[in-house]
Amino acid sequence: MTDNIALEIKGLNFYYSGDSLALKNINLTIYEKSVTALIGPSGCGKTTLLRCFNRMHDLYPKHRYEGEILLKGHDLLANGMDLIGLRSRIGMVFQKPTPFPMSIFDNIAYGLKLKGIRKKSELEQRVESALKHAALWDEVKDKLAHSAYDLSGGQQQRLVIARALAVEPEILLFDEPTSALDPISTTKIEELVTLLKNDITIIIVTHNMQQAARISDWTGFLMLGELIEFDATEKIFTSPSKKLTEDYVTGRFG
Amino acid sequence: MTHETKRKIEGFVALFLSTLAAFIGLFWLIFILGDVLINGIGALHLNFFLNDPTPAGVAGGGLRNAFVGQLMITAFATLIGVPIGVLGGTFLAEYARGKKLSQIISILSDIMVSVPSIIVGTFIYALMIKPFGHFSGWAGATALAIIMIPVVLRTTEDMLSLVPWTLREAAFALGAPYYKVIIQVVYRGAATGIFTGILLSIARVAGETAPLLFTSFNNNFFSMNMNGPMPSLTVSIFQYAMGPYDDWHAQAWAASLVITLFILLITIGGRLILKWRYKL
Repeated sequence: MTDNIALEIKGLNFYYSGDSLALKNINLTIYEKSVTALIGPSGCGKTTLLRCFNRMHDLYPKHRYEGEILLKGHDLLANGMDLIGLRSRIGMVFQKPTPFPMSIFDNIAYGLKLKGIRKKSELEQRVESALKHAALWDEVKDKLAHSAYDLSGGQQQRLVIARALAVEPEILLFDEPTSALDPISTTKIEELVTLLKNDITIIIVTHNMQQAARISDWTGFLMLGELIEFDATEKIFTSPSKKLTEDYVTGRFG
Repeated sequence: MTHETKRKIEGFVALFLSTLAAFIGLFWLIFILGDVLINGIGALHLNFFLNDPTPAGVAGGGLRNAFVGQLMITAFATLIGVPIGVLGGTFLAEYARGKKLSQIISILSDIMVSVPSIIVGTFIYALMIKPFGHFSGWAGATALAIIMIPVVLRTTEDMLSLVPWTLREAAFALGAPYYKVIIQVVYRGAATGIFTGILLSIARVAGETAPLLFTSFNNNFFSMNMNGPMPSLTVSIFQYAMGPYDDWHAQAWAASLVITLFILLITIGGRLILKWRYKL
């Protein structure tokens, strides 16, 4: 059982500053090559938890972590953790599409160039495979030199996913990736996520419970900074063990 | 009087006063520009651009030396001022974002923008002219650079702040160190805005006379030696306009027209770039 664990979170507390505790004693296991959804009402800490996994909080002063997050046996919260290396192993896709102000090709090549890949043929080949992986290749193959801003919102979001995939991460974090998109683009992203789990581990924060039910294998329900329940998605949505979870997934609050 | 008529009268008065104010402003603007155009265009001929000044009374003199001097001083001012302004703005918007220090520097540089330029001139005079005992083009360029720095610094800061923070996070999330995020992503996003700020700061200093009067002074001869006094259009305008000869007056008009057109072109260019970048 232990070899298919992607992340193991043990006794995680997170403070934004001083005494403001945003996450309380989170214990959670993320399984490899599966989709884990984090759900809960606004302000419950699901995004905060997601941003612990690639240490995004380190960009801001006064934050503090306690506990452990084990990635292949190594605590990624340890002092002296190589954040640049960590972030190429754990990628992230944000709520709003974040294409860089450059061409479609350069967007995808950006992470590869950061990794020191300079050879044109290798870049071309890996950009193509990343775009194919993100199901965007057919739509953009004739306009790789165009600005990424020429794409539609849904295409931009798939471009960003391709950019994250290009560096071949082990885990991909999604922070409400479809909340700014129309239904058709949303479906495309959901199909893509389901496809991607053949190769990588996916953790997705969503406020859309149907989405969690559709695409995830595991679901964690958070409230007020606490992990109330974590189980197989089917169980969470059909026979949760906690009353609070049942009230939330049946829409009684939130 | 009913409420309705009262409001109608108020509306009419407000409209009348603001229209009047607009037309008064426009009148003087058009008057000045028209005057410069009418008086300047007559003295614009090829000699004006190709010849150096001649002794008073000798016909055919021009201001070639002042054109070259103006260009050199402005170019070196840009070379000194722009890197400092851009890097300073980067510090404020990125590394010191949200810190007290950043706010203090921003306010100080806003004050710097409105400091009378003659004060900058006398400051550089005390620093770079008095100790060496002679005027120099370098001092002129430095004085103009000091005027440019706060303009460039503030536009850079503003333009960088407009780049959405999530864009930086996205680059960090790919494993980019901060300096690469700034150079490769943030600068690209803000490039047009920063470039426009630079153009406008050049336009701002191109018309300055006071800081040059104390620093590069003037030179009746052609000179490309930045260590000595250098001629410039603005100081030449000042000198010729004060002089007793009709020929000088005509040339001062022509120089005014040329420098006004130069600033107009830069400003229009800057605005067109902004429009092209942000409205399309």
